[in-house]
Amino acid sequence: MNVYTPILVLGILAFGFALFSVVVAGITGPKRYNRARLDAYECGIQPTPQPMGGGRFPVKYYLVAMSFIIFDIELVFLYPWAVMVDDLGLFGLVAMLVFLTNLIVVYAYEWARGGLEWD
Amino acid sequence: MIPSSVLAAPVVTSTEFPPFGQDPWWLVVLKVVAIFGGVVVLVLLTIWGERRVVARMQSRLGPNRVGPFGVLQGLMDGIKLALKEDIMPTAADKAVFFVAPIISVVPAFLALAVIPFGPEVSIFGTRTPLQLTDFPVSVLYVLAVASIGIYGIVFAGWSSGSTYPLLGSLRSTAQMISYEIAMGLAFVGVFLYAGSLSTSEIVSAQQPIWFAVILLPSFVIYVTAMVGETNRAPFDLPEAEGELVAGFHTEYSSLKFALFFLAEYVNMVTVSALATTLFLGGWQAPWPLSTIGDGMLNQGWWGLLWFLAKVCLFLFLFIWLRGTLPRFRYDQFMKFGWKVLIPASLGWIILVAGFRVLRNEVEADAVTLTVIAVVAVVVVFAISWLAELARERRRAREEALLQAEEAQWAETRQTHPVPPMPGERFEYTPRARQTVPSALAGDDEEGPGA
Amino acid sequence: MVHLAVPMAETLTFPSLQYRAMAPILIVLGAAVLGVVVEALVPQAARRAVQLAVTLGGLATALVFVVATPGSELGVVAGGTLAIDGPGLFLQMTILVVAIAAMLVVAERRVDPAGDAFAPRASSLVGSGEEQEQTRRGWSQTEVWPLSLFAVGGMLLFVTANDLLILFLALEVMSLPLYLLAGMARRRRLLSQEAAMKYFLLGSFASAFLLYGSAMLFGYAGSLDFAAIADAFRDKPGQLGLQVIGLTLLGAGLLFKAAAVPFHMWAPDVYQGAPTPITGFMAGAVKVAAFGALLRVMYVALGGAAWEWQPAFWVIASVTMLVGVVLAVTSSDIKRMLAYSSVAHAGFLLLGVVAFSTAGLSATMFYLLAYGLTTVGAFAVVMLVRGPSGEAGHLSSWAGLGRTSPVLAGVFALFLLALAGIPLTSGFTAKFGVFAAAIEAGGVWPVIAAVVASAISAFFYLKVIVLMFFARPGPDAPAVVVPSLLTTTAIGVAVVATLLLGVFPQAFLDLASGSTPFLR
Repeated sequence: MNVYTPILVLGILAFGFALFSVVVAGITGPKRYNRARLDAYECGIQPTPQPMGGGRFPVKYYLVAMSFIIFDIELVFLYPWAVMVDDLGLFGLVAMLVFLTNLIVVYAYEWARGGLEWD
Repeated sequence: MIPSSVLAAPVVTSTEFPPFGQDPWWLVVLKVVAIFGGVVVLVLLTIWGERRVVARMQSRLGPNRVGPFGVLQGLMDGIKLALKEDIMPTAADKAVFFVAPIISVVPAFLALAVIPFGPEVSIFGTRTPLQLTDFPVSVLYVLAVASIGIYGIVFAGWSSGSTYPLLGSLRSTAQMISYEIAMGLAFVGVFLYAGSLSTSEIVSAQQPIWFAVILLPSFVIYVTAMVGETNRAPFDLPEAEGELVAGFHTEYSSLKFALFFLAEYVNMVTVSALATTLFLGGWQAPWPLSTIGDGMLNQGWWGLLWFLAKVCLFLFLFIWLRGTLPRFRYDQFMKFGWKVLIPASLGWIILVAGFRVLRNEVEADAVTLTVIAVVAVVVVFAISWLAELARERRRAREEALLQAEEAQWAETRQTHPVPPMPGERFEYTPRARQTVPSALAGDDEEGPGA
Repeated sequence: MVHLAVPMAETLTFPSLQYRAMAPILIVLGAAVLGVVVEALVPQAARRAVQLAVTLGGLATALVFVVATPGSELGVVAGGTLAIDGPGLFLQMTILVVAIAAMLVVAERRVDPAGDAFAPRASSLVGSGEEQEQTRRGWSQTEVWPLSLFAVGGMLLFVTANDLLILFLALEVMSLPLYLLAGMARRRRLLSQEAAMKYFLLGSFASAFLLYGSAMLFGYAGSLDFAAIADAFRDKPGQLGLQVIGLTLLGAGLLFKAAAVPFHMWAPDVYQGAPTPITGFMAGAVKVAAFGALLRVMYVALGGAAWEWQPAFWVIASVTMLVGVVLAVTSSDIKRMLAYSSVAHAGFLLLGVVAFSTAGLSATMFYLLAYGLTTVGAFAVVMLVRGPSGEAGHLSSWAGLGRTSPVLAGVFALFLLALAGIPLTSGFTAKFGVFAAAIEAGGVWPVIAAVVASAISAFFYLKVIVLMFFARPGPDAPAVVVPSLLTTTAIGVAVVATLLLGVFPQAFLDLASGSTPFLR
């Protein structure tokens, strides 16, 4: 048997359970129409109208996302090297240090320029 | 000719990884049901345990009515939620709103597929490891699946059509992805020592000594990151009720809400199980016990006991943290993740890898290397301290500049100090011997509307 | 470690790196990384001076290393991914010289009263109070320097790439900084940002074409290596679909960077919107890099398929020249006119490429050297003629410039004559070379088209000269700003090169023809 098949079985079970729950919730619960209840929740005041299509996300959020991608790619590079570190030896270490130096330079730049400040 | 030779190398797309993938179909189903059921039960017990323990910490009793010691409280809460009205807000994006809890909960379960719960045992006469499946990159698989769960949160917040959930989900995702990096970096140390990404091999690589001991910094970073990753106290900012009501699931009710709740607790179990597997020797017995009877406590079903004990230890840690620590502020939290955890784990990895490679290649002795390492660490700390000092001084200077400017404003206006109006600035006029506000000359032919 | 799904090779073999041969590339990229460090650590006030030193120092050192490369170092290096050969070094030298001249213009601060040609913070909103405040404080976006260095590093890599993967990598390293730089103009920021956006979107398409073409050729040849692809074209007939699709897409990706018709649409908008020093840099250095890579790909990797691409390229070259000159005639903005002229020059250069001979190779390389320096000089002059709100772009405001500032007008006239290909300027020698090579290769009709195009082009170049010297200055005549030593040096170098390559071209012609052929 394929080593990935059991994951599929577990996935089907988990998905079935989740779908069942979501569907059942609509059947078992009571339904009493109340316009205020269907409005967006905002502590009792008139809800702020939402822009069409969810609007735009704040630009700072993109900054986090971009930094994340840079570092996540770094991880993708680090993993294979970490597994084979003994075989790759000094060559691998130096190559990885060169790569990390570049990354640290960028990180220092981002830090110095306030890319890692949150409010 | 590297690229051609590398690309021409025979690529084995192996779907075989003995002893995994050799179970008969009924055993697979049995394991799947056992894992699913076991985790759900563990979650219900955790919810109950959390309320009881936190109550004790606050000199209360906690739920003690339903079943013996109130054990069934979690189950009853679930049933109660099923009988509540399922609200679909008018402003919601219906399809996404419906799908979000499912996307959140399924990956949480999936990650448990590669966790080794114990060594090989015999079930109805079939020898099989106490693990659903494993393959050479299973830790990568865990990370990948865990990332999918974040989509559930983004979708939930975005589709609710409401302010608080949107902000909560933004925070939540920013938080999870930030701490995922620290988490991933903590793993690198483990891979360096284990030489594999397969969970079962990582467990067997911890035979004489656990990675938590030799890689203590990695372990500490991982434990910190896993609390941030699961949005638990003291890092439970997405649910900061004073600011964001209930975060991304504000608009959810009934069983859809229950699914998010379930996902959070399953994720707690998952990260605890992962911590156990990668750092605490997995299902292996702790040290003094492992020597008894020539390792007999490391055989058979005993493994499951040790594994569960270690997972429960982590779950208790989660509860303990929630009972004792106040919540972080958002900026403190992000600063901690990006400016402390990431550089620390990066530095630690360089240190470990350098140590290892140099000892292998150059046959340098451990003492020299340790001295070099210590010097390196000291230098790094000194540099970062100096940089921080310089930054502080610069900030102080800018602050002083700003204050001077404000004072100047106040002088001119001779009233309460107010900031300049847009397009206004100060100019020193020699004849009047004073600075007066003047309109800024428009030096660009294009305005914002051009 | 018991079960390894992927069987390991017995021993890992590491590629050997020839650091001396790769030194120029490493120096420029190292200087770029150093520039980022400077951005992080050096305080605002001192940053510009340090960056200038790092940039010019890095480029000059790299140039010295290129020129001083010993013959023994030539060869295919870094595991077959880079070809450091005669044409590669000649093109690297050209790129570095053009880049140094362009950087001198980039550094100019005296022309604009508000500072250099770049927005104080490219990220601040156009026309906002924040922007005005930053202008008032005299901030400058010093990231321009490391970005330019990264672009130059990518170009050096681009002309020596001997592998489709490295080719793509170099293309990205070269292009991404340029997309950013194009959007940083201090004046007319919205136009600049629009230009950057267009450049980025169209450039991404071109990159995708190149990548997809590489995939097709890899599918056909089973290798990304240029030499191996050439062997495949020789020994492996068939699979015409993969061959043709791969060739077409790869060619499209490269022709985009070269701004050849029908991939020229971005050029006028980007040239007009980008800060003028960057426009000069792009028009000069990118053109060299693009044609350098095009030459290597076509001559080395796809040389065996010359019968497939040559006919198409004859047509593209002819159409590019004619479209370029016709559109240049109709444009009334000086930067747009120069942009269309650069499209036309792409056509002339393609004649040399398509000739597919040693003569064609050396003629194209000489053309690139001549054209690159002249263009940088021309755009530097454009920067100096200013109205009340920045550069005086419209042609009408150039009227009578010959009376008010004869030296500048004279210099500009020289550049225009060189671009038109009038004898005793570098443009004539260059054009003569490519035309001769094209005729030798049997392209009589394209050369006739080229001569027609040259005649048309002379019309609009001369129109500007006539306007400058024989028209009366208008009431809102622009002022000519006296630049600092930096720009003066750059323009001086361009003038000297234009004359030298026109009057005494032999040494450089010999250098170009001595650099051939490509190694593989």
